Amino acid sequence: MKSIIAVHSYKGGTGKTSISVNLAASLAKRGRKVAILDLDFRAPSLFSILKMEDSTLWINDYLNGASTINKILQETNGKGLNKGKLFAGLANPSTEAIRDMSAKDRKWEMRALGRLLSLRNTLLKEQNFDFIVFDTSPGLQYSSINAIVSADLVIVVTTSDRSDVNGTSRMLRELYNLFEKKTGVVINKILDANLDSKKEELNKRAKEVYQVSLLGLVPCFCEVLKSQGNLIFVEDKPNHPFTKIMDEIATRIEKNEI
Amino acid sequence: MKKNDILSGKKPLNILEKIKENLERLNDKMEVMIELQRHDKKEIQSFPDASLDVMTLLSMPDHLRKTAMTICRYGRATAQEIANQTSRARAVESAYLNQLVIMGYLKKERVGRKAYFFADRDNQE
Repeated sequence: MKSIIAVHSYKGGTGKTSISVNLAASLAKRGRKVAILDLDFRAPSLFSILKMEDSTLWINDYLNGASTINKILQETNGKGLNKGKLFAGLANPSTEAIRDMSAKDRKWEMRALGRLLSLRNTLLKEQNFDFIVFDTSPGLQYSSINAIVSADLVIVVTTSDRSDVNGTSRMLRELYNLFEKKTGVVINKILDANLDSKKEELNKRAKEVYQVSLLGLVPCFCEVLKSQGNLIFVEDKPNHPFTKIMDEIATRIEKNEI
Repeated sequence: MKKNDILSGKKPLNILEKIKENLERLNDKMEVMIELQRHDKKEIQSFPDASLDVMTLLSMPDHLRKTAMTICRYGRATAQEIANQTSRARAVESAYLNQLVIMGYLKKERVGRKAYFFADRDNQE
């Protein structure tokens, strides 16, 4: 089933971008045509992770009405994607662009929402994309909420940090519930993930505190930290347990089992 | 009225169409009045420069947010099309849509007998 997925979190540093990129790559690996868009205009990072630092056209230009989405999307050179394709739309990392995006008014944000909503038609229907993944800014701000409203499924990435657990549960209750969005939670960077008691505790948290479907439990892998953002595990380490978890999440999304 | 027109039934049909159109307009207005009575009148204030952005959506009462979200997704739709998505009655959606027009968040345009509602994003430069 074709769909738009927004990956969001309450706090920064939860592993949102890493999960967005790997999930997009896992969907592409199954022969799907996927686009990943960096909507974190305050701290753009997709250009760096995908090593696409020579870009001249950005998602900022699309949202400003200065370019079409087709001119902005660039195909990545992902390894092991078989017949699948992964395209990326990057956010402009220049200080000037970050400043410009943080000074937009409500009317600009309203037009930006219209442009994000129209991607369903341009990319999913006309260009035959199967999935669009939005990597968003953390917390409650315009660009993220625009992405959430435009998406079919929202994946919330969270950790076991006390302030993250509290903030995430409040955000789910006071923001997601209002928009009636299909939501799944991924708990990332779990210590002692192999202990059954730990798994039980986290399952209980998803059910009772977050009250949304649990999409995945991701242990804190030293290899992921050691790679310092240089590897896309789904492409570079196809047999790594992290890749396996991403593949499981991708399967559930594909089968619409959320 | 010419005798031939009366015999062919053309004129009376046109007149009936006009009457039906006017009744539909009256109906729209009555639905708004009923809604104004049902909810707190203070809730329905008009903002001449209103924009239907996400923060506005968040601050709306639940019943209006559902309608506004659906119109955002469709871009342009009739009350019936919105009702099909929200599983609420057409008359209810028509009342909510007209409320959103009064509040300044939506625009309304009549094409023949159909009324289309839309968020006027392009003219909000």
